[in-house]
Amino acid sequence: MTNKEERDNHRPSINPVLAHLEAIATGIKWLTRKPMTLMYPDMEEKKPEYFRGFIIFNYNKCIGCSLCAQICPPRAIHMYRVPGDKRIRPGYDAGRCIHCGLCTDICPTDALDVSPVHDEVFEQIGSMDFDPVEWHIISKKLVEEHAKRKRKLVITRVDEEVGLRYEPVE
Amino acid sequence: MVLVELAKILHVPVWALRGFLAPLVYPGLAVLLGTVLFLIWAERKMAARVQQRVGPYYVSPKLHGALQLIADGARFALQEIIVHIETDRLMFILGPILTFTFLTLPFTVLPGGPGIYGFRSDFSMVIVYALLTLSPITVILMGWASSNKFAMIGGGREALLTVSGEITLALAMLSVAAMYGTLDFVTAVEKQMHTGIIGLVSNPIAALLFFLAMLLLTDRVPFDIVLGEQEIVQGPYTEYSGVLYALTMAIDYVKLYALSLAFTLLFLGGWAPFTTPLLGAISVYIKSLIVMLFSVFLRAVYGRMKLDQAMNFFWARLFPLGFVALALGVFVHVIYA
Ligand code: SF4
Ligand code: SF4
Repeated sequence: MTNKEERDNHRPSINPVLAHLEAIATGIKWLTRKPMTLMYPDMEEKKPEYFRGFIIFNYNKCIGCSLCAQICPPRAIHMYRVPGDKRIRPGYDAGRCIHCGLCTDICPTDALDVSPVHDEVFEQIGSMDFDPVEWHIISKKLVEEHAKRKRKLVITRVDEEVGLRYEPVE
Repeated sequence: MVLVELAKILHVPVWALRGFLAPLVYPGLAVLLGTVLFLIWAERKMAARVQQRVGPYYVSPKLHGALQLIADGARFALQEIIVHIETDRLMFILGPILTFTFLTLPFTVLPGGPGIYGFRSDFSMVIVYALLTLSPITVILMGWASSNKFAMIGGGREALLTVSGEITLALAMLSVAAMYGTLDFVTAVEKQMHTGIIGLVSNPIAALLFFLAMLLLTDRVPFDIVLGEQEIVQGPYTEYSGVLYALTMAIDYVKLYALSLAFTLLFLGGWAPFTTPLLGAISVYIKSLIVMLFSVFLRAVYGRMKLDQAMNFFWARLFPLGFVALALGVFVHVIYA
């Protein structure tokens, strides 16, 4: 037997009329199912406790040891000279950050911390690069805004029947 | 009748008022516009539901995104129309306008209900067919005038597919004409109402052929080879932007509307079971809306056929079937004689 014959013999036999009807019936069956989209800006998945989002920086706690800049794998943190300040302070490039959280671990004074903010939008690439003072300000702003958010929080569950299910949490 | 009274008030002959209202109000442009907006929304929504998505939503969450198309329309209206330097300017701009105009002409003879038509002719089926076959010519010209390889390929595909689709459509219409013994839509509907047997029952093969040819001519999945988004961007309409793009997008839906109306009249009994103008018009509209919704729903079910597969399907399978439908029509003529 040649390859082609073999292939032809192994083709499943399909009734052309019934198969089309079956396909259309399947389509109609799925038409009645509920969508499993997470309606994101109205609804959000509840983040785990130590979710590593935007890194927030407290200028007042920082002692300028520059350990964070040394540990940062993609070099998202650079040390800056701030006018009127004797010590160097870290600045942050949010576009480079891979959210590994190493900087928050190594910071001796807990000046750096993780936050659940992960969806801040920046319109220009330059506006994602913060010097120490800007970083301190935006950190404060983001944390405040996040506390004010009134989104419905849900937990995603994998369901054999519908695919994905979202259970609301308080 | 309302129409006669209105004609008296306006001091115009009734036939002129009819010829004016039918293509512009119902079944023509005004209703057409609403239908096209609804249909595109329904198409996107249905495809989304089958894939367990939500579809257009955030433009108007309360209406489930029904205003999305109006937002899109506003955007197209404000957008710049880009005519690039290598195009054949005149044909490029005239293409969509001419096509759209050709496609609104059939509504002068397509009846939208009992006594609702622009002109009544003994050859209305032939007129509708002839007017619908004008549009591919301008579509091919649009592909040529765009001076773009995707548009060119799209135009070529349109030429190939139109030939195969229109033959099938012609055979289906011919068998229907043989069956009812008339080339007039109104008489065809009256014969169906008189005997109580709709065309779908008496000649299902012709109905199937008509429906498949309709899918092909209006670029519905599985025959959306002319548009072929993943292969050739938008086919002959690739280079268009702004209002002209909105027109090109409407072309297929207008054609779909005209053909669904014809399908309703020929196979689904037209305005049966009603005889008053208002209820009859609603009946015709709802029936053709169901046909349209079904044909756009197929987008969620099928994949796209290849060009050779579609040609093979139409010439090798449906073309012979067309003669069977014709023979069946001649036999069934006894019922309607
Ligand atoms: S989270 Fe990781 S990548 Fe981001 S700044 Fe800290 S160390 Fe650098
Ligand atoms: S590791 Fe902490 S204390 Fe040291 S420079 Fe960075 S932020 Fe400041």
